[in-house]
Amino acid sequence: MPSSFPSPLSQDGKTVGAVLVVGGGIAGMQASLDLADAGFKVYLVEKEPAIGGHMAALDKTFPTNDCAMCTISPRLGATAGHRNIEVLTSTELLKLDGDAGHFSATVRRNPRYIDATKCTACGDCAPVCPIVITDQFNGGLSDRKAAFKLYPQAVPNAYAIEKKGIAPCRDACPAGQRAQGYIALIREGRYADALRVIKEDNPFPGICGRICNHRCETECNRNLVDEPISIAALKRFVADQVYAEPYVPPQPTPRTFVERVAIIGAGPCGLTAAKDLALAGYGVTVFEALPVAGGMLRVGVPEYRLPAWIVDREVQEIVDLGVELRLNAPVENLDDVFAQGFSATLLAVGAHEGKRLSIAGADHPDVLVNTSFLRDVRLGNGHALNGRHVLVLGGGNVAMDVARTAVRLGAKQVDMACLEARETMPAHAEEIVEAEEEGIGLYPARSFTRIISNDGRISGVEAVTVSSMGFEPDGSLTLETVPNSAHVLACDTVILAIGQHAGLAFIPADGGVGITHQRTIAVDPNTLATSRSGVFAAGDATTSTSFVIEAVAAGHKAADSIRRYLRGENLESRDDADLPVVKLNPTEIAARVREGEIELKPRVPMAALEAASRRRSFEEVNLGYTEREARAEAARCLQCGVCSECLACYYECAAGAIEHGATARTEQLDVGAVILAAGFELYDAHLSGEYGWGRFANVVTSQQYERILSPTGPYDGHLKRPSDGHEPKRIAWIQCVGSRRADRNWCSAVCCMYATKQTLITREHAPGTDCTVFYIDFRAHGKGFDAYYERAQEAGVRYVRAMPSAIKQDLATEDLKIQYALPDGRVVTETFDMVVLSIGLQAPSGMAGLADELGVDLTADGFCRVGGSSPVDTTREGVFVCGPLAEPKDIPETVMSASAAAARAMTLLAAARHTLVRPKEYPPEIDVAGQPPRIGVFVCHCGSNIAGVVDVAAVTEYARTLPDVVLADHNLFTCSTDSQAKIRDAIKEHSLNRVVVASCTPRTHEPLFQNTIREAGLNFYLFELANIRDQCSWVHREHPEAATRKAEDLVRMAVAKVRLVEPLQRKSLEFNHDALVIGGGLAGMTAALELADQGFTVSLVERQAELGGNVHHLRFLLNHADPSGLLKDLIERTLNHPNIQTFPGAEISSFEGSLGSFKSTLRKAEGGRQKDQEAGEIPRPLSHIPQPPEEIAQPPEEIVIQHGVVIVASGAQPYDPTEFLYGQDERVVTQVELEATIADRPDDIRQLRSIVMIQCVGSRTRERPYCSRLCCGQAVKNALEIKRVSPETEVFVLYRDMRTYGLLEPFYREAREAGVLFIRFEADRPPQVSANGSLQVVVHDALLDDDSLLDADRLVLSVATVPQPDAAELAQLLKVPLTEDGFFQEAHLKLRPVDFASDGIFLCGMAHYPKKAVTESATQALAAAGRAATILANRVIEIEPTISHVVEEKCDGCAYCVDPCPFQAISLIEYQNEAGQTKKLVAVDETACKGCGTCQATCPKAAIFVWHFKTEQLRAMTMAGLGK
Amino acid sequence: MAGDDFEPLIIVYTCYWCSYTAADLAGTSRIQYPPNIRIIRVQCSGMVHPNLVIDALTNGADGVLMCGCHEGDCHYREGNLRAKARADAISLMLEDFDLEPERYRLEWVAASEGPRFAEVVTEMVDRVKEVGPSPYG
Repeated sequence: MPSSFPSPLSQDGKTVGAVLVVGGGIAGMQASLDLADAGFKVYLVEKEPAIGGHMAALDKTFPTNDCAMCTISPRLGATAGHRNIEVLTSTELLKLDGDAGHFSATVRRNPRYIDATKCTACGDCAPVCPIVITDQFNGGLSDRKAAFKLYPQAVPNAYAIEKKGIAPCRDACPAGQRAQGYIALIREGRYADALRVIKEDNPFPGICGRICNHRCETECNRNLVDEPISIAALKRFVADQVYAEPYVPPQPTPRTFVERVAIIGAGPCGLTAAKDLALAGYGVTVFEALPVAGGMLRVGVPEYRLPAWIVDREVQEIVDLGVELRLNAPVENLDDVFAQGFSATLLAVGAHEGKRLSIAGADHPDVLVNTSFLRDVRLGNGHALNGRHVLVLGGGNVAMDVARTAVRLGAKQVDMACLEARETMPAHAEEIVEAEEEGIGLYPARSFTRIISNDGRISGVEAVTVSSMGFEPDGSLTLETVPNSAHVLACDTVILAIGQHAGLAFIPADGGVGITHQRTIAVDPNTLATSRSGVFAAGDATTSTSFVIEAVAAGHKAADSIRRYLRGENLESRDDADLPVVKLNPTEIAARVREGEIELKPRVPMAALEAASRRRSFEEVNLGYTEREARAEAARCLQCGVCSECLACYYECAAGAIEHGATARTEQLDVGAVILAAGFELYDAHLSGEYGWGRFANVVTSQQYERILSPTGPYDGHLKRPSDGHEPKRIAWIQCVGSRRADRNWCSAVCCMYATKQTLITREHAPGTDCTVFYIDFRAHGKGFDAYYERAQEAGVRYVRAMPSAIKQDLATEDLKIQYALPDGRVVTETFDMVVLSIGLQAPSGMAGLADELGVDLTADGFCRVGGSSPVDTTREGVFVCGPLAEPKDIPETVMSASAAAARAMTLLAAARHTLVRPKEYPPEIDVAGQPPRIGVFVCHCGSNIAGVVDVAAVTEYARTLPDVVLADHNLFTCSTDSQAKIRDAIKEHSLNRVVVASCTPRTHEPLFQNTIREAGLNFYLFELANIRDQCSWVHREHPEAATRKAEDLVRMAVAKVRLVEPLQRKSLEFNHDALVIGGGLAGMTAALELADQGFTVSLVERQAELGGNVHHLRFLLNHADPSGLLKDLIERTLNHPNIQTFPGAEISSFEGSLGSFKSTLRKAEGGRQKDQEAGEIPRPLSHIPQPPEEIAQPPEEIVIQHGVVIVASGAQPYDPTEFLYGQDERVVTQVELEATIADRPDDIRQLRSIVMIQCVGSRTRERPYCSRLCCGQAVKNALEIKRVSPETEVFVLYRDMRTYGLLEPFYREAREAGVLFIRFEADRPPQVSANGSLQVVVHDALLDDDSLLDADRLVLSVATVPQPDAAELAQLLKVPLTEDGFFQEAHLKLRPVDFASDGIFLCGMAHYPKKAVTESATQALAAAGRAATILANRVIEIEPTISHVVEEKCDGCAYCVDPCPFQAISLIEYQNEAGQTKKLVAVDETACKGCGTCQATCPKAAIFVWHFKTEQLRAMTMAGLGK
Repeated sequence: MAGDDFEPLIIVYTCYWCSYTAADLAGTSRIQYPPNIRIIRVQCSGMVHPNLVIDALTNGADGVLMCGCHEGDCHYREGNLRAKARADAISLMLEDFDLEPERYRLEWVAASEGPRFAEVVTEMVDRVKEVGPSPYG
């Protein structure tokens, strides 16, 4: 009787069937998988570039010592591969609009700078990256590159680049030079690479390295430390280094377009544009009027500043790209150019005409003009200035060039005069200094009235003194002069250096090109287009004189506009969203200086010629850096942007995946619910300065130590201490670092256990290591934890109950001295080789801001506040929380809360289930039955990752010789989109019916290629992957020939297998969609209601006549909620829910079937209560039992229930004590009894002077070696309540360890502050209780090492929680296991805490383990409901085809396979054959089988096998591997 | 009989969940090991029939290495323990076939133990080199 499929519920058309999960750690993955399996679309948002969270960084997990990666890795793969989950890495949630059911979430997708869809994770980018930073994933104990993969098994398996933004040097540069990039490469000694990245943005490194005005240095963040980096000098160094090698001309660039572009002017602007356009595929001709190219660089800047050979070298490189350069080719008329067939023209004529002064005498032949003077000198038409007295008028850099050139031409005396004051002269300060060194006199603040000449010879310039100068808004000059200040500056030659402008005579008046009244060409500043179509202008001709780097920038811009113009695109370029500019602040810098990361060091000075020798020659003044100097200077760079944008990765990446220009973008996601699973941050151990972390090398945090132990960690899993790499012999752990303090008032809940794990793993690494753990209370409150703690103690781990006050370091040995106080007050010091700080958990730092945006409340400590309807609901409806974000918790609790949050979201969105998920559509499958194999083999180069070692062509050739191979081919990247299309085409063209890809690992790529062949109509399973990268080229780099042979073998093996594979189909089974819940306590009711609210039909069986279970004992709660109201509400909702049928007073008598088709028989729970009482169950309050519904008041003897899933919520019960006079003296009560008294008869409490509580009664004993978890909280709760109703009553709590974990800790503190006295005793010296009239308790106070005698008016026992007496019976019926302690055993302690190993059976509440009142049971119950819904929500159960199959003809029913099956999926059946004989045979339960194949390895008859892994298939591979 | 130039051929069965992942990790970490092995991926170390191991060894394999999850880590609960139990049976069979016990080895390698995978393989190759070529080679 399959029940009707219940979903979707009534469609409201408004609810969105998608959920946003924030955080890709284990919680986020669990919630996502549950939701996706239940028919919801999931967006999983993770801020890091890979999912996995903290768990991915763990070495092992407690208490099983499982390898964390082994357990998490399948989960990572499942999450990334789930068709309903969209994993958005490097993404953050910004805000959330709308309401529950239909939110609009704004997310920011930060760029990872490597396209994850193209990245093959070959890792080629990392070795070439010059940026080395500390690897925080390894706790900063190792380095990594800016191009990195978060961790080796990262999912998505792709690299990313860490980039904070644009370095200020690049930002300041008009041409956007990647200065940080070439500086990093210089530091590495990679000069050719450095020059390459410079030339990306600037064809003139040798020039700019000498004469740039280097605004980059002005903006350099190093200014905040000492002096800026000598960026220009480093650029010059690189050019000099590379140019010292023989010139190798570049390959001419291919011409891809017919259009030709004319460029007028071979200066820096025109040549830059010429280069860009040539590279873009256009024909380019540069017209130059002068006999040399280079413009002002070649004929303006003097040789002593810029040697001509540099200019010629850099020009030549552009010409060699295929640019046509016509020298001595002045353009007389613009129209002529168009007449020659050019499609566009760039006017880059510069400003070569010097300005003249309009004062008297300025037309004298000995009055020279700057540009022509300098040009004449550079072209060898020198002016003889021997013995002359030269006066240069002007104060800019050109004036300096003129004056200093005049000195070198032999002038007797050179002076300069200018309008500006000395301080405001436009020339560079260093130029002025050098000019003065060369003997040049300065007359600043002068205005010139006339040039005086006598007898045809100039005798001087008449000047007046300027008192102030300025400019009007329109640019015109205003001057004030000192009255009567006229004087004569003596000279015989005047050179005017007051500016220059463009020569524009070639532009016809009617040419359509506008000219401004400043005599520049008018252009649109955004596009550089002139008013005439197809004519562009740039450089000095448009702006008047500026610096060479601006000309370069303008050249790029003009080229881009011309390219757009020629392609018919919009001239306005799209504005890329800018990256932020990285401005370091002084605090940040101070921190880096403190950390020793930045060393104060002024810039390395550059050698220069002496002034005396300068005056005599045009030799270059500045001599440049030596290699040693350059690398030292480069090492000063602060690497502001982290990634330097040196582009080394870009050139290296064969897959073309690098995208440095990527920018962040925001997106809106429509979702119905949000789950916050943002996890936690670790405490910053710096803040506990007394322990010296960060100062002492051998003090590490627990996170660092975890990485030290990890095989993928900084020391490859070798136990070493950081200072000297020696194996530590004595290690100390210090607990509670950053936890349990007044200012951090919580317990981090995991540190006691992880420290214990670390001690045990340490001793696995090095058995003799002394491990000492300093702690306050040992908190092993989870399932299996105390046994683990015991194990550590037995293994010799020393636990010392003391908090060390400080750590000191021995300077010579770097050993560590820990000082701590013994119980008697003596202070001792012990020496260790290494100290591990067990740092606590805290809410992630960004949470406060996010919470504001989301409108969810946080606690005072910053954790996400839970509120409302469940322990995973936040204060905003539709937003749920799980994991340590709400409270520090361990992995199983995290996973439980994640499944619980998923369940809550499922309930909220039940109406929209399956609305946003679509199965992928494929073409019909090609029937290959009966066809002989036709195999296609595709061998991958993986760029050079395979092909660099393995001879791919040879492997391909070899593959062609293999039997049934009809096609073999090889591709650069087989996974690229075009290669996949090639495979699909080949399948069709060659009628392939099997495919082998020889590339990388099936773990990442098998699903991809399976999908490819399925898209071409081949069944998924007609595929095999040969892993010739991870298993061959990468691990046999030194043996290319052997690797090639091996790759051939691997291909042969894959072919051997693929010949034998068969098409397989997933099976879909109809199934029953009802649930059975066993147990009507809080957990059972919660689970039942959650499923019922989602629309599923639930049968709830409770052995007692009433619902409610242990919650009846609760009278008040620590959080002041009212438990009785809560219970009443739960019971009413359960009894009245239309989807729930309740069977009180009933129990399971038989149980059969498997997932989807269970059948349970209920019978009246005859002895239920009686059994409880025999087991010591205290009488339960029965006063308000709801009467069982009429129809089952007299249930028939048996009821049969068909159901698809079952949830075990059968609970646990309090231990009935025999200790401490319980049952003999009425003053001895349990906490439950005390609680009732406090609630019902507070006056009775007020009569009592003293109440003594004893913890661990029946817990942590030889018989029950586990911690009952809830009793410490219960004692604190009752103690606080006593203090509230009767402050005078003394309360003593006698305890072994106060286990107020997580957010119970504040209540423990509150109780101490309220005067409750906590006295610790040792397990081997329990309290002694006697009653001689008064009750007396003698306790040996472990702290004082002395006995205390307490008079007790009431003695309260905190008793253990024990399994239900019939748990074993139920376990047997359901065929599920129990732990040694008698609680139900889940499928996996860490990652499957609510599943049983048998599918379809789930677990929650105290049947699993004792739980803190209400919240923990409810959480697990929600989780169980959520997990159950992942099955029930689907119309059919899909069964993987790779499971066991029985060959009936061969099976003789020997049943050897039955027992070994780990899933009890095989059963023996008997049947009558046609001859009437009784035969035996095994049968496989397809819903239970997981395909492990234990059966096939056990069968002596080869009568059972696993599809796709048949022994004959494995044998074929084996034989092929052996060459047979 | 073990010549210096003897390069053994070793068949390695790796479970998909731990050891195969470890072999991949050795690859991504570029840990070098001798090219003498041929890996065959199986779902679980518990699915390889002892007869297949013997077949390999009597058809020219100089050694067979079986790799599974550490105890307690098995993706299929306890398939690896079955493989462990079978290892004893396999050593008895080796005697019957006059094969040295060093030619078969069972090792647990976790998903994070890339270096260990390389180590185990290297050791196995060295050990089989000492034993010499298979008499069935």
